[in-house]
Amino acid sequence: MSVSLLLSAITGAGAGDRQLGEYLSGECVTCHQISGREVGAVPVITGWPEDHFVAVMNSYKEKHRDNRIMQTIAGRLAADEIEALAAYFGAISPQLGLR
Amino acid sequence: MDFNRRQVLTGTAAFAGATILGSPVVLAQAKPKVVVIGGGAGGATAAKYIAKDGAGAIAVTLVEPNANYQTCFHSNLYLGGLRDYASITHGYTALARMGIELVSDRAAVIDRDKKQVVLAGGQRLPYDRLVMSPGIDLKYDSVPGWSQAAEEAMPHAWKPGAQTLVLRKRLDAVPNGGVIVMIAPPNPYRCPPGPYERVSMMAHALKAAGKDRCKIFVIDPKESFSKQALFQEGWDNHYKGMVEWLGPKVHDGVKSVDPASGTVVTGFETYKNAALVNVIPAQMAGAIVRESSLANASGFCAIDPNSMKSAVDANIYVLGDASIAGDMPKSAFSANSQAKVAAMMIRGELAAARTFPARYANTCWSMINADDCVKIGGTYEAKDGKIAASSTFVSKTGETAELRKQQQAENMGWYAGITTDMLG
Repeated sequence: MSVSLLLSAITGAGAGDRQLGEYLSGECVTCHQISGREVGAVPVITGWPEDHFVAVMNSYKEKHRDNRIMQTIAGRLAADEIEALAAYFGAISPQLGLR
Repeated sequence: MDFNRRQVLTGTAAFAGATILGSPVVLAQAKPKVVVIGGGAGGATAAKYIAKDGAGAIAVTLVEPNANYQTCFHSNLYLGGLRDYASITHGYTALARMGIELVSDRAAVIDRDKKQVVLAGGQRLPYDRLVMSPGIDLKYDSVPGWSQAAEEAMPHAWKPGAQTLVLRKRLDAVPNGGVIVMIAPPNPYRCPPGPYERVSMMAHALKAAGKDRCKIFVIDPKESFSKQALFQEGWDNHYKGMVEWLGPKVHDGVKSVDPASGTVVTGFETYKNAALVNVIPAQMAGAIVRESSLANASGFCAIDPNSMKSAVDANIYVLGDASIAGDMPKSAFSANSQAKVAAMMIRGELAAARTFPARYANTCWSMINADDCVKIGGTYEAKDGKIAASSTFVSKTGETAELRKQQQAENMGWYAGITTDMLG
């Protein structure tokens, strides 16, 4: 059994490379707080089902959703990178930093 | 228990065994050391990400003389009366709790041969890798008649802290009908839309105080500026008759200023008895990188776009405003983004962590009025020896008030996000 399959089995996660996702997440967490705190018009993106995360990012990438920042960010992400982000953020409790 | 779960548990135990077997080797050696100079958007982010992702494998020291950090970003909102000073002031206690050693001193000299930082207090800090994020220094001699001694009389407020307070106090004291002159900076400088957001926030504060007969003249050495159409549309919409921007073909250069009398002489006109003169001078990288021979003739530091590593010293990384980051603007968002690339590369070098190709991003929001916010941004990658934009966007003129208000809510969310990402 490969390491990535093993890690997937531990978490029940999809195919996304979570280490890649963690690196790519640097781009997201400048605005979206990893703790799950929501301020202003920047939504929480942790703890989402992975298929939902992938669908939302693809809708920005294809410009079905209209935020210019998100269209630009999603626009350069390849399918495996979106999956990696979905796996990384999906595994974080949305209530991590909430008290 | 199903078959898969049993397999997983076995695998986990094997992993744990490998870690234990590996650990004595790690313990036998001293931990690699990273010293970070500057606790702003670049330095604080780098320190945090090296410490956080390294999980104790790397000893991180942050050298920052100031106990508190006032953000330059959103200091214009303080000027406009839309944020209080406490809300743009932050501490470093969360970084200390993560195990980062905080050194409250100024880095005086870098001994690059010995790989040591010499502090103003004389202490030497050895490093395996050094991260330098000193921000900008001002060229006090770039405006004739102006000097560091004149920064109280004609404040710059382009470094946050005491100067921010001086500028606000002076703005509050401007009488109705008073003249304000801003001398805008030449490229390259910190925060390209910043001077024009500042003009907007000054006009907002004046108008809110019933001082709408005031006039702000912007004397600009540049033919054009960031988000120009958006700002000029906004000034016309919100502050009609209060703002006049003059490019170099019109004003023919700033000939001199007299801080004592509030006079600004240009080739076109002389402004006498100005109630406030805001001089934003030409800029260069912070002294410590220039004095360490890391900057080139431009006054800023060339870097490897794949890593943010200095082009002249393989043990040093230069981040943020002090670096020559190609198409990326000098912004807090850029510095934060560059810091994450550097942190990953340093962990790769010192802790054998996995690395990925460098990717960068930036967005800058600018407020024109309390509910009118515009944005510019992009994604960036290493290409042809520099950091090049792969995709960019900018707000459009004529956008709906609803969209502009939504963007202001994003701006507030971003502020909370980046300060938490850096310091939380």
